Amino acid sequence: MTEATHTVKSYEQELERLRGMMARMGGLVERQTAQAVKAVVDGDEEAAIEAPDLDPEVDELEREAEALAIRILALRSPMAIDLREIVAALKITGDLERIGDYAASIARRALKLDMDGGISLIGLRSMGRLVQDNLRRAIDALATRDRDLAVAVWQSDTAVDELYTAMFRELMTYMMEDPRNIGSCIHLLFVAKNLERIGDHTTNIAERIYYAVTGEMLPAVRPRGGLGPQQTPPAIPDAR
Amino acid sequence: MTGAELALCLLGAFCLGLMPGWLAGGRRLPQRPAFLPASRRDESITRDVGLEEMLGFLPDCAVLLARNGSLRFANAEALAVFGDALGTIIRHPDVFAALQRLDAETVLATADIVLDVPVRRVVRLVFRLVPEALSQAGVPVLAILSDRSEKEAVERVRADFVAYASHELRTPLAALIGFIETLRGPAADDPAAQKQFLEIMATQAGRMQRLIEQLLALSRVEMTEHRRPRDEVDAAQVVARVRDESAPLCSARGIVLETEAHPVAFQGDEDQIVQVLLNLVENATKYAVTGKRVPVVSLVTSEGVVGGKDGVSFTVTDNGPGIEAQHLPRLTERFYRVEGGQGATAPGYGLGLAIVRHIVDRHDGRLFIDSVVGEGTRITVWLPVRGERRQARERPSLLLG
Repeated sequence: MTEATHTVKSYEQELERLRGMMARMGGLVERQTAQAVKAVVDGDEEAAIEAPDLDPEVDELEREAEALAIRILALRSPMAIDLREIVAALKITGDLERIGDYAASIARRALKLDMDGGISLIGLRSMGRLVQDNLRRAIDALATRDRDLAVAVWQSDTAVDELYTAMFRELMTYMMEDPRNIGSCIHLLFVAKNLERIGDHTTNIAERIYYAVTGEMLPAVRPRGGLGPQQTPPAIPDAR
Repeated sequence: MTGAELALCLLGAFCLGLMPGWLAGGRRLPQRPAFLPASRRDESITRDVGLEEMLGFLPDCAVLLARNGSLRFANAEALAVFGDALGTIIRHPDVFAALQRLDAETVLATADIVLDVPVRRVVRLVFRLVPEALSQAGVPVLAILSDRSEKEAVERVRADFVAYASHELRTPLAALIGFIETLRGPAADDPAAQKQFLEIMATQAGRMQRLIEQLLALSRVEMTEHRRPRDEVDAAQVVARVRDESAPLCSARGIVLETEAHPVAFQGDEDQIVQVLLNLVENATKYAVTGKRVPVVSLVTSEGVVGGKDGVSFTVTDNGPGIEAQHLPRLTERFYRVEGGQGATAPGYGLGLAIVRHIVDRHDGRLFIDSVVGEGTRITVWLPVRGERRQARERPSLLLG
């Protein structure tokens, strides 16, 4: 085996390792988010404990992935799509780590929730499902480098924003109805806010995948929901 | 023989050199599934072609994984059953943990995982370290996946049944016990009261019996929900059956059911469709007689396109008092009853439309409910002429016209 092919092969292996780490991180934060949502809407205590427990593993993976990415940058001077992929990986792992933090924080709040005020969790349940599904599709797009799927995820966060605004109003009503609800409602408000933040980081991931694959940026202004009827969504660039 | 055993036997046979040589040097599979990463250097995969082709024959879901958990190959069955949920299954932390357990001594591992999105699924994975002779290139793990969602659904249905039955039967049963105590005590020597109480008790017992029958029907429908019907059904024949079978009910309520049917063939379960229409006609007659006009109920078929697919629609219309808009989205919830007393002459259990919805979902159809207060109600069941295999077992949403 010649020296040249050997070099290329181990380079490919390093990239493969980096992708593997991202997939693992993705799986972990998907699980954290799923458990966090379950902890709140089903009052599942085991799930509430598991989500923060996975956090150190995610953090560790982020550090490893960062070190590997910097190593590849320093030693291999990658170009074009490889360079973009590694730069995107640096940012995506950051987003994934933040998502994990938010999920852990939701799960910790679930332990403090005292749900007998007759507060409906239906809105939160559907918001949780939507956020989870977007996260799943974003990580799928990451694994398959699927540009169209990334755009679809980027656009569908509007529904999460809508639900968040609706939740905000609903919880406000509960608080006005009965001051005894305020404690639970504030926790739920933070839960909803954190879910919304997870949705935002998911769109960030979608943006970075789009950039890594096409070399172009999605518009800076993303279509947003929950603001009112007057808004025109920015046009999606026709890639290639 | 389970999938895992079958795969292991195949592997064993292969190792012993019993498989014909052409498999070992076989060609690449023609198509790479869309979700597999399009690696630029594929030589690591091509060497496993023999194994991949073998797995292609398996009637079970088989995937090949790299040591770090990345997905390298999925057979046709795995793609058909799990579709785009495969990625999220393989990424699950429990799968990675199971892979870590595999080494020279431990060649088998299992993981059971539960997914919430895109649809609720319970999946069991059995991992097997592939002998080195078969995999030189970093694809050392074979996983056999089995979908346990159905089993879990059956258990959930059973639990629901017990919960609903005990909840709904408690009230009439308490009434019966009350009457029995009265008959034994204060009314022991009062034949007139006894006659009256026995009358009420018979009605209550009859109600309980019908409730149990409906609950059983609902459970049966729920359990077959994931299996697509395959029979060919003729719309005109369905309408004829509904007209005949609803005749006693209609004449008892003084209504003539007007029908108009076209002979359209579609894929479905005839008994279930008849059941759907009978439920709708029964509801319609119940409402029509409480209206202020001469009751009219009709059942009409037509052809229509919904969501780009050809289909047949059955429309049941009544001229009863109508239903207020606020109730419409909730009508198909089980035990949902419209308050207001107008239907009180023939109280139901709120299960009829729940059964209708499950059957319509099973046929991949749609249910449209229109109602104008004071004018009447129109319910349309649309069913596709030829059902396609559903990609995901998601429940088609209830659309309101």
